[in-house]
Amino acid sequence: MTAVAIAVRQVVSDLPKVGAFIRRDLLITLSYRLALVADWINLLVQMVTFYYVGKIVDGATMPVYGGARASYVEFVSIGIALTTFMAVALTTVVQALRTEQLAGTLEVLLTTPTSVAVIQLGSAVYQAVYIPLRTAVFLGFVALIFGARFDPAGVPLTLLIVALFVPVVWGLGLVSAASTMTFRRGGGLVGLGTIALTVTSGAYFPVDVMPGWLTPLLAYNPIGLTLEGVRRSLLGDGMTGGEVFSLIALLVPMAAVTLALGGLAFRQALRREIRRGTLGVY
Amino acid sequence: MTVPAHVELESGQAASTAETLAPAVEVHDLVRTFGPKAALAGVDLVVRPGQVHALLGRNGAGKTTLLRTLVGLVDATSGMVRLQGVAAPTLPRASRARLIQLVPSGDRTFYLRLSGRENLLFFARLQGMGKAAAREQVARCIESVGLTEAARRAVSTYSHGMQKRLSVARALLTEPAVLLVDEATHDLDPAAAEQVRSLIRSVTGRGAAVIWATQRLDEIRGFADEVTLLRQGRVRFHGTVEQLQHAAVSRRLIMRLQARSIPSLPVDQALSAAGDVVELDLMDDHQILTFDLHPDVVLSAAVMALHVVGWDVLACRRERSELESAFLELTEEAG
Repeated sequence: MTAVAIAVRQVVSDLPKVGAFIRRDLLITLSYRLALVADWINLLVQMVTFYYVGKIVDGATMPVYGGARASYVEFVSIGIALTTFMAVALTTVVQALRTEQLAGTLEVLLTTPTSVAVIQLGSAVYQAVYIPLRTAVFLGFVALIFGARFDPAGVPLTLLIVALFVPVVWGLGLVSAASTMTFRRGGGLVGLGTIALTVTSGAYFPVDVMPGWLTPLLAYNPIGLTLEGVRRSLLGDGMTGGEVFSLIALLVPMAAVTLALGGLAFRQALRREIRRGTLGVY
Repeated sequence: MTVPAHVELESGQAASTAETLAPAVEVHDLVRTFGPKAALAGVDLVVRPGQVHALLGRNGAGKTTLLRTLVGLVDATSGMVRLQGVAAPTLPRASRARLIQLVPSGDRTFYLRLSGRENLLFFARLQGMGKAAAREQVARCIESVGLTEAARRAVSTYSHGMQKRLSVARALLTEPAVLLVDEATHDLDPAAAEQVRSLIRSVTGRGAAVIWATQRLDEIRGFADEVTLLRQGRVRFHGTVEQLQHAAVSRRLIMRLQARSIPSLPVDQALSAAGDVVELDLMDDHQILTFDLHPDVVLSAAVMALHVVGWDVLACRRERSELESAFLELTEEAG
């Protein structure tokens, strides 16, 4: 049996352990009730801010979806939802790693017969369940309070697009985690790259207002591609089969590259720490 | 003083019992370097089932590195580690985790917001136990360390001693053949430290081998079956606690003296043939003498030398215990 097959078998046999991570993180989250409430208040305050910003934005500059011009609140709420989702996905592994280091539990975790991939997955799975729920509730509130119109028929396509996007972010998150493990606070460099991708994605303003020479790059920004797909699904009349296929053709190779890079970087970072004996040092 | 690097067991019950059992841990010529510094420089160690093997050494002697290497958290640079006769690097992680567990030195090795029970349930599941088996084993382990009443309280409310006992309970989840305990009692009060030691004794009672890293000399007497003393990553001594005690005899004495009328000689002249006076202080109506006894002189000769010139020895004690002396001499930095 090859090393890859053994590793895959180990991951599969370890999957039932993921439930223990979910239970652990749920109990810890519930123990910080104030933080939980503050998170929701923060989201609401952010939306109110953008609502008033929308009042001074010229509606004519907003893009048209399905023949109707989107309001700024509709436009930006999807940007906020997706970038929040991305930020959490991107930092989950890093934060989990830091938390385990600070709590002194990382080394204990690694002495259990649990594959590193399952420890990563387990550390993120609670957020992976919670954040989509939070996003859906957030968009629901925006529709209810600010009168934004989202097309429920676009939800299945939105879910498909987000599912394609998650592995891309996950791979970047692993690179960030590897960087943190190696340089302790090295997540900043990866964060810088992510901010650049976010700013140029059209999350908060239409990309049309950006300099023309950036256009070729914007066409390959995974966040921008995903945002455009989600907006067309929820605000417009969806995407054609060909357009969905094109999106898949772009996002899947990106996911493959970032996942391979992230997996390799994380494994190497972990090996390095064990070699140096500095795993628990933070 | 010259002490052989490895003092073989001579005789006695512990030795004869140990000889009949195959080693639970065998370490041969283990080397671990960090850059130019050798944290472990050719360490040999054999621990048999049912033994408590104390690992002594000053800070930075290599104790924790050795434990972390045994449990797989640090790679060895070279050398051999066998667990129950099997080369450790060839063991699958699951088998290794069942064989060997670590009680880490730090306090913060738990999720403080979770209860002791929830913490242990989490780690039990990660050890591969099903939900029902995990619940059962956690209850058993919590009871064995006397934490049943506190089991549902957040770990953040636990005392140091309770956290340490919970740490032992976590290590016992897999009923390992080898338990590594790193500085478990260094910040515990005597009662809590004794609780932890008796817990560990009960673990050896069911046949597990224990490697107990410590700097507390007082606790290894009557507790450890064998001792390995490390200095700068090298084994400086290996043998029983009794052998360690004999490895260095403290010759610095502190005496309380009282003059009978007027002594015919001052203290230093009376003792000139028996040793060297380090310090002599007057305290109330008696003298406190710190004195290095010559190696070829017995204590009674010194007492007699004082007595005949008019000094009574009211009390006499060693400045340090034999174990402490041995520890200090054997771990003394070169140069």
